[in-house]
Amino acid sequence: MKRFVYLIFVLIIVNSCKEVFEIPPQAFVQASFLNSSTKAAISQKVTAWGSGQEYLWVKDSLLQKILLPLSSNDTTSFVISFDSKIDTITFIHQTMQKFGSMESGFYFEYKLQSIDYTNNQIDSILITDSLVTKKWNENIKLYLTPSATGGN
Amino acid sequence: MRILSFTLLLLLLAATSYGQGEPEKKLKPKRTDNYIRMRGIRLGMDVTRPFQDLWTKGNRYGSEFSADLEVWPNWFSVFESGYEVMKIKTEFIDYTGQGSYSRIGFDYNFLQAAHKNDKDVLFFGLRYGFSLARQKVNQYWVDSYWGPVTGQFGNQNYFAHWGEFLLGIKGELFHNFYMGWSVRGKVKFNHKSLWMPPVYFIPGYGKAEKGFNLDFTYSIYYNIPWDFRKKKSAKTPEIKK
Repeated sequence: MKRFVYLIFVLIIVNSCKEVFEIPPQAFVQASFLNSSTKAAISQKVTAWGSGQEYLWVKDSLLQKILLPLSSNDTTSFVISFDSKIDTITFIHQTMQKFGSMESGFYFEYKLQSIDYTNNQIDSILITDSLVTKKWNENIKLYLTPSATGGN
Repeated sequence: MRILSFTLLLLLLAATSYGQGEPEKKLKPKRTDNYIRMRGIRLGMDVTRPFQDLWTKGNRYGSEFSADLEVWPNWFSVFESGYEVMKIKTEFIDYTGQGSYSRIGFDYNFLQAAHKNDKDVLFFGLRYGFSLARQKVNQYWVDSYWGPVTGQFGNQNYFAHWGEFLLGIKGELFHNFYMGWSVRGKVKFNHKSLWMPPVYFIPGYGKAEKGFNLDFTYSIYYNIPWDFRKKKSAKTPEIKK
C-alpha cells in the first residue's frame, strides 16, 4: 500500500512538472548611443514609445544602448526623447516568421532595409547588422549631436 | 640490435603459443525446445497507450493492437498497428498532431522452455515502423509591444518511417492469456519536411526532432487457440508405400 501511494505521488509530481512550457524568443533592434564628434559611447536619459502606442516602452532611463521591438508590419516607428528633445525613427524592414518550438510557438525576425529619422538630436544612424534575430547584438549606431549629449 | 631483440621476442611468443596447442572450440549446445510452442495467432493490446499523457509533455494518447505468430520455433512474426493523438495547448500555441502507424518485424525468444507447456518468452525484436499523419496549428499567438499577432496553419499531411529494436518478456498468466512488456529504442529513418511549422509529432514514434526515442509498452494478449498448422498438415496426402 505504501509503495502504491509513493507511485501515485511520483506520478503527480511528474505530471505537474511536465506542463511547464518554454517561453517564446523575441527579436529586438539593439541601438547604441554615440557622440557624433568623438564617436565615443555615451549614456542618455531616454524615454521611448511606439508611434501611436498608448504605453511607453522605456521611461526616463539612463541608457548606453536600447532594445526596440519591431512590429509584424514592414514599417515600425519609435519616438525617442533624449533629455526632452524628441526624434522619430522609422525602420523599414522585412518581417520573417520563425518557429520557436511547439511549446513556445512562433516569433518574428527582421531584416532592416532602411531607417528614416528626424535630426533634432540624432546626427546620423549607421546600420551595423541588418539582421534582427533572437540573438541580440548591436544592429544600429545612433550618433547624437554633441550639444544634445547631456550624458557622459 | 633492436631488430634482433624483437625477433627473439617473437620467436619466444611463437614457441609458447605452439606449446599450448589449439584452443578448444566451444560449441553452443542445440536448443532442446525446437518446437512451435504457441499454436495460432496471439492478439494483444497495449494498455499504456491511452495513458501516455502521464509522462509526456502535452496531451498524448492513443491505442495500439498487435498480432504475432510463431512461424518457426522461437521466431515470432509480429504486426503492430495503432492510432495516436498529440495535443499541445499553451499561451502561445494550440497544436494537434494525429495519425495511424504500423510496425512489422519479428521477435526471437532466448528463453529455453523447461517443458512443453512452458510458453513464457524473453525476446529480442526488430521492427520497421511507418506512419501516415497530419498536423494542424489551430491558433498561435505572438505577444508583442505592438499588440498580439494571431494566425493558424491548416492540415498538413506527412509520412515518416523508423526502425526499432526491443527487449521484452511475455508470460502466460492463464490458459491462452498473456501479459508482457517491452523496452524499445526507436531510430528515425526519415520524415517528410514541412516548412512551417516543422513536423513535431510522429504517431508511434514520438517527437520528430529527435533522431532516437526510447519507449516502453505493457500489453495484454489472447492466443486464439486455432491450430491452422494441424489442419494444413491433415490435408497433405499420405505417401503410399
